[in-house]
Amino acid sequence: MMAPRIRANRYSVMTLEWPKDSEPLEQWLKEQCDKAPALMQEIAIVLKPSLEHESEEIQAAIDSLDQLGIGLIGLTGDSSHRALADEMGLAWLSPNNVTVEPQSEKERDVNQPRETALVVEGPIRSGVQVYAKDRDLIVIGQVSEGAEIMADGHVHVYGRCRGRVAAGVSGQTNAEIFCLTFEPELVSLAGTYCGSDQIPENLWSARVRVGLDENSQKLTFGLMG
Amino acid sequence: MATVVTVTSGKGGVGKTTSSAAIAAGLAQAGHRTVVIDFDVGLRNLDLIMGVERRVVFDFVNVISGEATLNQALIQDKRLENLSILAASQTKDKDALTEEGVGQVLEQLAEMGFEYIVCDSPAGIERGATMALHFADHAVIVTNPEVSSVRDSDRILGILQSKSKRAKEGGKVHEHLLITRYDPARVDNGEMLSKEDVCDILAVKLIGVIPESKAVLKASNTGVPVILDDDADAGLAYGDAVARFLGEDRPMRFVTPKKQGLFSRILGGGD
Repeated sequence: MMAPRIRANRYSVMTLEWPKDSEPLEQWLKEQCDKAPALMQEIAIVLKPSLEHESEEIQAAIDSLDQLGIGLIGLTGDSSHRALADEMGLAWLSPNNVTVEPQSEKERDVNQPRETALVVEGPIRSGVQVYAKDRDLIVIGQVSEGAEIMADGHVHVYGRCRGRVAAGVSGQTNAEIFCLTFEPELVSLAGTYCGSDQIPENLWSARVRVGLDENSQKLTFGLMG
Repeated sequence: MATVVTVTSGKGGVGKTTSSAAIAAGLAQAGHRTVVIDFDVGLRNLDLIMGVERRVVFDFVNVISGEATLNQALIQDKRLENLSILAASQTKDKDALTEEGVGQVLEQLAEMGFEYIVCDSPAGIERGATMALHFADHAVIVTNPEVSSVRDSDRILGILQSKSKRAKEGGKVHEHLLITRYDPARVDNGEMLSKEDVCDILAVKLIGVIPESKAVLKASNTGVPVILDDDADAGLAYGDAVARFLGEDRPMRFVTPKKQGLFSRILGGGD
């Protein structure tokens, strides 16, 4: 015979945010039920009234939810509503324990911007090192002979590139190098490197893209438009 | 407010001291109160080029260490009343140059009413050179048209834009390129980099091309800045360079090979 036990399960519960200055809640709920009746019947809802709502207003809202057949399971919001939840026999859900699920990929990008490329204005002179850690590197201008530019991500050089260039220096094999005028001393991708004497002659001074073929572990060179 | 102009190159023997003397004399000729300082402590040369070697009693290091006042150490040029010279010590080494000491001397010179302070940097990227660069508002990069000189100039430009006071405070040192010992005939033959090649590699505004000239050696040996020699093409080219530095627009001269006449070819003349 199995013993009863408590398990942490996650259910999808919607929060109904109800600001004080919103349109009448009953009206709005009716419209939603007309639009998507099946959905509104199935969802579990937690009501989040604003601090300014009176107990009577909240009671009225709960009644209209009940009439429409929407499953209200509890209250959340300001802790002053907690007593009200107890009084009405509803659960109290602490707003501090909420994890808000991102609605879409797009919204996540806006809320948590990833670190963008490091943009450096050239010329990058001989003897100067530039390293873009955990990100791409963009150089506007030239990179002189004897300069070293490196990135964990891609490297773009919008100018004459005569120095040493390394992309994917922490081992990212999908990193690439893009140069408008390709005349480097050395190129390296994820540790695979090639000196200027091994670079095909037809690519010299051209617009070049350098990638890494993972199967052969060799650098691949291509012309860009 | 005095403007500090540092003449530098990285590589030795390209003409920094000759150019410092010529630029300082040119600025003084243009009516600006100018002082030229030799930062090459231990290997002083500027006093020779300026023809004041016998008048050096106290030097730059004496002033920094408080053994002499600036007035005692400054040597007034006899040809140009706007020009003064501060010689380097021959007995000390470059460690005598401290950032604080150099800064104080430059400040005092500005208070004395000098408009331009020309710093003649030593070769290399060690203490003397970095001290000369540290306080620069403008840098004149002297380069010969050959690859190693150009490479070293590029390195110095990198140091300039990372280690100078202006760069550290988020500003930028104004860069000017001066190509010296230029031989247009050899450029045409492909034996020497052209001025376009040099500008392309360094990406700095060109303020002058000084032709290879016997007048430069003669000027050094006689202690007269070559810019004061109106008969020499190198002197005229330095004059143009200073004018361009001061914002004037002048066409480049002496950048195409001289046409040798029939007689000079037969008689083996030319310069």
